[in-house]
This record gives sequence, C-alpha cells and structure tokens, in this order.
Amino acid sequence: MTVIDKLAAFEGEVPSSGATGPRTVRMPAFGISGQPTTLISLVTASLLVGAWWFVTEYGLVSSLFLPRPAEVLHQFVVVARDGYAGAPLIDHVGASLFRIGLAAALAILAGIPLGLLMGLNRFAKGILDTPIEFYWPLPPLSYLPLMIIWLGIGETSKVTLLFLAMFAPICLAAQSGVRSLPVERAQAARTLGATRLQLFAHIVLPGALPEILTGIRIALGVGWGTLVAAELIASTRGIGFLIMSAAQFLATDVVFVGIAIISVCAFSFAHAVRLAERLLVPWRGRG
Amino acid sequence: MLKIENASVFFEGRGRIVHALDRLNLDIADGDFVVALGTSGCGKSTLLNAIAGFLPLSEGRITLDGRAIAGPGADRGVVFQKDTLMPWLDVADNVALGLRFAGLARKARREKAEGLLDLVGLRDFGRSFPHELSGGMRQRVGIARALATDPDILLMDEPFGALDSMTREQMQQLLVDVWHRTGKRIFFITHSIEEALVLGTHIIVMSPRPGRIVARYRADFVRRLAEGASLKEIRLSDSFGPLREEIRDILHRDPEPKEEAA
Repeated sequence: MTVIDKLAAFEGEVPSSGATGPRTVRMPAFGISGQPTTLISLVTASLLVGAWWFVTEYGLVSSLFLPRPAEVLHQFVVVARDGYAGAPLIDHVGASLFRIGLAAALAILAGIPLGLLMGLNRFAKGILDTPIEFYWPLPPLSYLPLMIIWLGIGETSKVTLLFLAMFAPICLAAQSGVRSLPVERAQAARTLGATRLQLFAHIVLPGALPEILTGIRIALGVGWGTLVAAELIASTRGIGFLIMSAAQFLATDVVFVGIAIISVCAFSFAHAVRLAERLLVPWRGRG
Repeated sequence: MLKIENASVFFEGRGRIVHALDRLNLDIADGDFVVALGTSGCGKSTLLNAIAGFLPLSEGRITLDGRAIAGPGADRGVVFQKDTLMPWLDVADNVALGLRFAGLARKARREKAEGLLDLVGLRDFGRSFPHELSGGMRQRVGIARALATDPDILLMDEPFGALDSMTREQMQQLLVDVWHRTGKRIFFITHSIEEALVLGTHIIVMSPRPGRIVARYRADFVRRLAEGASLKEIRLSDSFGPLREEIRDILHRDPEPKEEAA
C-alpha cells in the first residue's frame, strides 16, 4: 500500500468569503419543499382582482352576472350600515358563527374521544365504523330533508347538520392518529413502566395530536361548506341565508358580499388552527 | 441472574411456520456484558424481544432474578435500534420519562436526568429537542433514558447499527464506560464481529433456521477497554485478529437452509 498524497485534500484554495461570498448551491428537492410562495400568491390575487375590475369596467360582462368591485364594496358598506332582510349584518355573521362554533365544539368533544376509542378498542371500532363509514360520504344536502322532518326548522336541525358534517373528519383523524403510533414507541413506554393509562395520556394522545388538528382544520372547511345548506332551512339570519335570499332577488353584489364574509371567516378559522398547530405541535414532521 | 431455559419461538407467517428460536439456553449473571452476534434472521432480535417481554415464548421460560417474565417492565431497560424518543418532550423529559411514569416529582426527575445526561456526555442538552440532535446523540439519550429507571438489565438491539463508524466507536467507548461505572448487566445485539469482540464479556454466535447458539466465547477485551486501553490497542492485540477470523468462519459456514414445513 502506498500513500499517494496525504496533503492533497488540504491544498485546494479556500474560496474567499468577500463581500459577495461564494456562490452557494443546493440539491433540488422534489416538490416545493419550503420555498416561499407568499409573493406568488399575492401577485395572483392582484391579477385576479385586476381581471375582475377590467372585465366589469369595460362592460365585457353584464353587472347582473358579475358586479363591479366598487359596487360590491359599496354594497358591503350599505349592508353593514343598514343591515339586510331586517337584521343588522352583525346578527347574520353572529348567527352563522354561533352555528358553526357550536357544531364544531360538539364535533370536537365527541369526535376526539370516540376516534381515539376506535383506534384503541376493537369493539368501539367495530360498532362505530359502520354508521360513520355509511353516513360520512353522503352529501349533507341529501339528508337535510330528514333533519327538517326529524328535528324541525329551528336551530337544532341546522346545528345537527353541521355537527354531522364536521364530526366524521375529526373522528377519523383521531382514529388514524392512534393507529400511526409506531410500535417501538409504545414498547419503549411499556419498558419504562407506563401503565395503560399513562401510555394513553403520555404517548398515544400527544402522538395523535397533529392528525387531530389536521382533522379539525378539514372539519372547519367542511363546516363552512355545509353552512349555506344548513341555512336553507327556514332561516331569517345567517350569511348562508343572506346569500340565498340575495340570489332570489338577483342581487349579485350582495351575494358577493356574503361570499367575501364567509371566505374571511373560513380563512381566519383555518389560520387559528394553524396557529394552534404551531403552539401545540411545534415538533410536527420532525419526529 | 437472567435465566433463559429451553426458549423456543415459532412464528406463523404466509401459511408456514418459521422456527425463529430453538431451545435456547443462556444465563446472564451480574456484571456480564453478553453480546449476541449473528446474521439477520438468526433470532437474536426475537430473543431480545422475548427478554423484554414484547413477545411470549412458544416454549421454555425466562426468569430475571427468579421472577418469571410476563410482559414488558421497568426492570428491563431497552435501547432500540430505531430512535424512539418522544418528539414533543425535550431531552431531559425524554430521559426522565420512566421516572414520570413512576410518579416522581418534576424537580427530582430533572435532577436525575441531569446526572444521566452528564454520564452520556450530553450535559448541556437537557433543553434541546430530539430533532435538534444527531443520530449518535439521540442514541445517547436513549441509553440515558433506559438507565433512568435503574433497570436490572439493559437490553440493546443493534443500537449503533445506523451510526457512522467514527461515531460508532465513540459510542462503544461510552457504553463500556457506562457499563463499567454502573455495573449493569447488558444484553447487546449486533451483526458486527468487531463490535461483539470489543464489547462482550460473553459472545454468543447465533445462526438462523432455526435460530440457535452455535458458539459461545468469553472475551476480556472489554475489561481492558474499561481499564483504559484504546480500541486501537485492542484491535491490534495478538488474540483479537485470530478470534475475529474464527468467528467470521463460523458465520460464513452457511448452514443447510432447513425449511420448517407447517
């Protein structure tokens, strides 16, 4: 064996880290992998609004079908000032938020424990799987008539409809969170002396939390999607009602106002859950 | 004394019976560092899982200081091949997890964890999170965690298998120090002959189908390592090379693959 050149590795010139520094490179990853997209999104949004303004301003589309941005803004001010259909705007927003909020709270309170139980217990899984798998792919509008027949036209049927739509994603997420527990992690806890209860509280629950939060985020999306359907039922309040009612008068600008309000609400809710994720599971994706 | 008597394990998989462990006998006395060495599929992990209580035996029995083993328990600490730290706990809380299960107060837990982190050379990392550590450091945390509940024996399933060779040597040295200082019994699995020779007071060589011990050795390299000899001195010592080649011959002597029909 001969040594060819022990020093070779050290003789290369070290690139000077001057004002510009060396040209850094990196391995291209698959997908976007954390590259910032905010600017692109902002540009897209402004282009869309610009296009909207352009086609309406130059009369390419009748304002009956697509109102001008200024009209929508004006209508928003009018609705905010004078209310709509005999109720102030805040009542409409409040009614919708109350329904979604109550249904979400109930879905979380029922969905998480039942989902965890389904992930842990054969009987719970066997019993609950059938009804959940049966009802949850159904479009809420299809069982809306039943809700009205069974529960009347009051708040109960609306909140129940929203609850049913939001329960399944949360329950299934909790269940899958339990199932994603690596067997070694459970074994490690057992050899550290964990009782079944401790195993659940200290290992299973925190391990399932990321998926549960994802489930809640999806459920809220589904909830807002179902809201308009829920407020079809003999409502006099609510953003969904506002939209449906405005549509009957071909008040397209008011429809746009309603849509904008829903989208702001839904966006805030999703953002709140994202914030909760950052606080509760900062370790997500790193375990 | 950990006593394994006539331990057999049969698995059923894809319609046939796999004979994973065949009437195996092994004693691990106080202060022993027993290394099980063999190719994959020789039953060494099966044996460890049985001692840990993760897997029941088909036949035979395992007792630890007279008590029959029935399920996992804090009297047997396990260091896994895969890193099994809890990502939501910081390093000190991970180390002290077993103490938390035992109901120790937080202050006492943190103090004990500090001491153990010191032992594995991670004094200032108590507040770090697992994902901030390298693979070698995470395995050190795993060792500290297994030691925290003061188990009667430490079971280690190829704990350094995923580490680079430099880190691996550091970890071997560290483990020998820990063993020397705590006097714990250790049952250690590896497929590296050198690692087995360097670490074990006793080395059992296993062969697959069915999993059984085909050779047993006693070695004193680990005692010399514990008393300050370097890994290099040990590897270059007269008896090391021949013994390594002898064991290599045993492992390469491919036994007739015997299929166990169902």
